[in-house]
Amino acid sequence: MRICAVLRLVPDLVEELEVEENEVIPFRYMPNERDEHAVEEALILKEKTGAEVEVLGIADPDNEADIDEGLGMAAAKGADKLYKVILDRPSYKRAELAKALAEFLSDKNYDLILTGIQAIDSFAGNLGGMLAKNLGIPYIGGVVEVNISDGEVVVKKELGGGLLAEYRLSTPAVVSIVSAERPLKFVPFTKLRQAMKKAEIEEVELELPEFEGIEVVRYEVPPEPEITLIEGDVEEVADKLIEALKEISVL
Amino acid sequence: MKVLVFGEVIDGEVQNITYELVACAKKLGEPVTLITSDADVSNIDGRVIKVNAGEISPWHYRIVEKVIEKEKPDVILFGNTSCGVDIASQLSANMPVATSAYEVESEDGSIKVKSLSYGGKVIVELKLETPAIVVLNSGSYDAEEGKGKASVEELEIEVEKDSEFIGYIKPAEEDVDISKAEIVVSVGRGIGDEANIEMAEELAELLGGVVAGSRPVIDQGWLPKTRQVGRSGKTVTGKLYLALGISGATEHVEGVKAKNVLAVNTDKTAPIFRISRYGVVADVNELLPVLIDKIKEIKEG
Ligand SMILES: Cc1cc2nc3c(=O)[nH]c(=O)nc-3n(C[C@H](O)[C@H](O)[C@H](O)COP(=O)(O)OP(=O)(O)OC[C@H]3O[C@@H](n4cnc5c(N)ncnc54)[C@H](O)[C@@H]3O)c2cc1C
Ligand SMILES: Nc1ncnc2c1ncn2[C@@H]1O[C@H](COP(=O)(O)O)[C@@H](O)[C@H]1O
Repeated sequence: MRICAVLRLVPDLVEELEVEENEVIPFRYMPNERDEHAVEEALILKEKTGAEVEVLGIADPDNEADIDEGLGMAAAKGADKLYKVILDRPSYKRAELAKALAEFLSDKNYDLILTGIQAIDSFAGNLGGMLAKNLGIPYIGGVVEVNISDGEVVVKKELGGGLLAEYRLSTPAVVSIVSAERPLKFVPFTKLRQAMKKAEIEEVELELPEFEGIEVVRYEVPPEPEITLIEGDVEEVADKLIEALKEISVL
Repeated sequence: MKVLVFGEVIDGEVQNITYELVACAKKLGEPVTLITSDADVSNIDGRVIKVNAGEISPWHYRIVEKVIEKEKPDVILFGNTSCGVDIASQLSANMPVATSAYEVESEDGSIKVKSLSYGGKVIVELKLETPAIVVLNSGSYDAEEGKGKASVEELEIEVEKDSEFIGYIKPAEEDVDISKAEIVVSVGRGIGDEANIEMAEELAELLGGVVAGSRPVIDQGWLPKTRQVGRSGKTVTGKLYLALGISGATEHVEGVKAKNVLAVNTDKTAPIFRISRYGVVADVNELLPVLIDKIKEIKEG
């Protein structure tokens, strides 16, 4: 059983984003949270079935150096092999990436490809389904638990409102994860450093095709909210918040 | 402009998002709604194509493909939901697509879409060539406007299945039902540490409410799954939703329908403030002890 998990860097939203009409400039990058869950679920499957786990990091020319830490983290948690794809341009559509990635993955004989369900910066599509379509294999997303036996994958999928459903898929398949079935494992800093020193990351080059039909007209910051924000020292703020609670007769 | 709506049926019921999509489609032009499972579809406004393909499954995209061939729509609308995205993402390998959309218009034969991206911090305006796929956030259009009288055509379409629906798993019996609570104190990643949840619990108790949380808090195991607010969890509808250290991502605010939202966040630009009645810019862990003391004084005094 061979599993590949996709790990991609996205802007860190805790930091200020610079939003210009024709580009969004992040201050710092971090792994996409849903992808971290995909990697975690792959490693949980390794524990359950002894599967071999390979992690494919995706970076672009702007954040190439940052992906090593994300991959090092995966290695510290038990990933068997690491790849990093450096894309040839910083901006691309999901469908373009899906096509190129599918080509790379098609002869790797993975039984299961896991991705995060979505990236925080996605607005032109979701990679998982596109990847499956390009590879001509089954797909399911919104998944919170994966089990494999006898060449079949059984997943639990979130349908919203707390409702889940179980589905069965044959392998190979692409599965997109929302959350792993248990919290992300914590890796102490020293262990991460060690893993990063030892990690061998194979570099992969992909050439992205160019697709027409989607054009970004502009990026903009949403309008300021129409409320007055309560600011000041804690005492003052607490008093004003209490006033607000009285106004809506909670106090 | 011809618009195909992918209608969602879960456990025999047409989902509310379907009517919202029809409402959007009516603004764009002539809608036809595709339903792939068995359900009472009589109150969907306009033409409905019904294909009885069993419970909603990712392979239903192949049915959509066939209906696209037949109907030749300019736009295909999906809900930004678990099942909608499964199908839209497979179809969009070969077709222009916009996701996380909240506004759709037609302009000179192409489609203009506004999407909310980067956790709600950036609006992206996109122009798509037709035929195009748009994945629409729930709550963007008024469901009532998509209700009416259906004219239903039943179709038989045979396609290959590559996954199999096994069964539904209903939510566990709740400890408390946050969707029925009048007062909800909700914690997000900004609470920082599991230990700090105690303060939120104390505050909730003082206010006569219950504690809930955002996905990262639930994923960490700091609160039970039944306490999750948002797309995958519950919708809160009571008098007060007090959001502590929650950024207000689209998937979260989909579940916030309380009459009054009060938010505490260190980041002035946090999207949660856009749905708030009052916004407090403060460190929740500094504020909570002070707030709790003051409320205790009021209660005792
Ligand atoms: C398919 C799918 C389904 C999802 N379903 C759900 C769902 O049902 N429910 C849900 O909640 N999410 C859901 N999500 C996740 C969602 O996209 C967000 O990631 C999540 O809501 C973020 O939670 P948060 O606001 O707690 O964390 P963050 O986005 O990390 O925000 C933390 C906030 O706390 C603030 N903060 C930090 N420190 C402090 C402090 N000391 N005092 C005050 N404020 C502070 C920060 O400024 C920030 O705004 C889903 C995602 C996907 C892809
Ligand atoms: N532009 C991109 N470049 C590389 N990987 C991406 C890109 N967009 C999405 N992904 C990956 O695709 C998966 C789902 O994200 P998405 O479907 O794009 O929201 C995640 O594993 C992402 O890391």
